[in-house]
Amino acid sequence: MAEEFLVVKDLHKSFNEHKAVNGVSFAIEKGEIFGLLGPNGAGKTTTIRMLSTVLEPDSGEVVIGGHSIRQEPEAVRSIIGVCPQELALYEDLSALDNMVFFGRMAGLNGQEARAQAMQHLELMGLVERARGRVSRFSGGMKRRINLAIALMGTPRLLFLDEPTVGIDPQSRNNIYETIRGLRDRGMTILYTTHYMEEADRLCRRVAIMDAGQIITLDTPRQLKSQIGSPDQVTLEDVFLKLTGRSLRD
Amino acid sequence: MKRALYVALNEVRLYIRDKGDLAFGMLLPIVTFALMYGAFGGHTLFEATAPIVDEDGGPYAARLVAQLEAVPGIDIDRLTAAQADTRLERSDLQLVLYIPAGFSDALAAGEPAQLVFRQRGNGGQEGQILASIIRGVAGDIDREFRVHRQVAAGLAGAAVPADRIAVTVQELLDRERRQPAVAVAEEVVGGSPDFINQFLPGIVVMYVLFSLTLSARVIVEERKRGTLERLLTTRLSVGGLYFGKFMSSVFRGFIQTFILLGLSYIVFRFFTPVSFLAALVVAFVFAAAAAALGMIIASIARSEDGAAWIGVVFTMTMVMLGGTFFQVAEGSVLDTIGKISIITYGREALGTIIAGSGTLGDTVFQLTVLAGVAVVGLVISRLIFRAVPGGK
Ligand SMILES: Nc1ncnc2c1ncn2[C@@H]1O[C@H](COP(=O)(O)OP(=O)(O)OP(=O)(O)O)[C@@H](O)[C@H]1O
Ligand SMILES: [Mg+2]
Repeated sequence: MAEEFLVVKDLHKSFNEHKAVNGVSFAIEKGEIFGLLGPNGAGKTTTIRMLSTVLEPDSGEVVIGGHSIRQEPEAVRSIIGVCPQELALYEDLSALDNMVFFGRMAGLNGQEARAQAMQHLELMGLVERARGRVSRFSGGMKRRINLAIALMGTPRLLFLDEPTVGIDPQSRNNIYETIRGLRDRGMTILYTTHYMEEADRLCRRVAIMDAGQIITLDTPRQLKSQIGSPDQVTLEDVFLKLTGRSLRD
Repeated sequence: MKRALYVALNEVRLYIRDKGDLAFGMLLPIVTFALMYGAFGGHTLFEATAPIVDEDGGPYAARLVAQLEAVPGIDIDRLTAAQADTRLERSDLQLVLYIPAGFSDALAAGEPAQLVFRQRGNGGQEGQILASIIRGVAGDIDREFRVHRQVAAGLAGAAVPADRIAVTVQELLDRERRQPAVAVAEEVVGGSPDFINQFLPGIVVMYVLFSLTLSARVIVEERKRGTLERLLTTRLSVGGLYFGKFMSSVFRGFIQTFILLGLSYIVFRFFTPVSFLAALVVAFVFAAAAAALGMIIASIARSEDGAAWIGVVFTMTMVMLGGTFFQVAEGSVLDTIGKISIITYGREALGTIIAGSGTLGDTVFQLTVLAGVAVVGLVISRLIFRAVPGGK
């Protein structure tokens, strides 16, 4: 069995009596793209916020790269990168300024930060707009910058919270390729999305979460074979079957 | 620590990009300064035009007008009664001097004569000053007139011709006017009009305090933008984030003061290089105190509006209590209440240095109070500060 890079044990978090995350346990192997799926309000973002040391869990244990998030949050922060669900950018600054700034926060020096920023902008097809003000970017470009920032400092574990929401197929493809490239270079990735097809294509394994709990966890193919022939049913069929058809939130 | 510095630099960069904040922070003080300069910087002298209706036309009326005209800064505008009335009616004029018909005759006959001021309300500030100047001149004429008459009465019966008495007395009086027994010498210190000495320090520190409202927003804004949470997933510590924000606020306040003081240096020349540096030290310590208070507000506020409102109410209270716009009598209740405003200390310290009446050594007390506010404010705000509600 491959080395586990992230281990989550019995994680709990409530907001005013509401159990947003209710006993979540899973592990992600090194170099794996792991999908965390679930309807709105399932607790995906809350889980990521805890794993990335922003939010303190009510209970449970998380170890990332051998460091406990409770005992060594600084060590954890030095090996993770987060692409939040909502855009988190300085719109008044240029793409490059944004990236260099977060590069510095990730511990790079000025020269390294600039070099990495240009490299990532290249990857995202945004080199020509490097010095353009982010507020003038299209939605897809902002999304790509949002993701590119998470790559600054070359983290070993990436949290991608719906990085492809609201963007065109071209941008989305660009992001897929980037993510695959990162995995090929050994990065471990936790990925959330509402596009089941996307999870099917990208993720080695997926966990489906609902109401704060993980209700199933396996490879997409295994999940599909639970309800039919894996080549005929889709991950979306599995998802709807397991989480029901009622609206959330 | 290094990362805190980058946070501060980033904040400053954002500040420069935000036209509104920049205008508020930099342009407004400069505009205020320009207005102050326009109003008080160019001339220290009272200048006014005295509207006069001379219905008398006699020699004494002429003399009164001539002597008024001789007062520095006073111009005479002769009007007819009708003109004066319409202008008063339309509020074009606040005060008019009427010399009634028969003024000279009455004086010549040794009878009391009268001047009339017609004015709207209290005549306005300028009118009041004019009136008192006119009274002074009239008083001089009256006194001279009495001297003439007393000398004439005293020499009555002596074989001295009346016109000879008049000429001699007039010569004496003229000499007296040139070399008065009680002379008033005007000394202008450092070329700075009093108003500036009195209000510039208050206005400078007030603007720094205003910038606190912007500082109070920095945390809420960062949170709303989502970058606060993002920063918390990097190597930047909460303390580093916090200190970076604090430094950016100090910097902003300091730069504002630097601009205002620099302009005062260039335009009014109140500073020597040494006192300018001393003023900058005061400005820095004051900016730190203001920034620390701004951080308390930033830590409490839950929304941008909330931060702005608390900031405005707080700064206005401080500004009012701090005697920025009016002089507070020493030992009065207001003076005592004013001691809780940091404006008071900033104003006093800066005032001491601008007026040239002291050096940094004389402001140790004020600087200590301000530094204390900075430290205590920083500690308190750091204790209340929660980057993520319910979290770190
Ligand atoms: N700060 C908070 N305060 C109160 N309730 C919260 C807070 N954050 C999340 N919740 C609640 O916790 C639950 C889980 O939210 P979360 O954002 O983790 O869901 P999600 O799976 O990411 O959903 P989505 O797919 O819509 O992003 C929701 O019911 C949400 O309303
Ligand atoms: Mg979410």
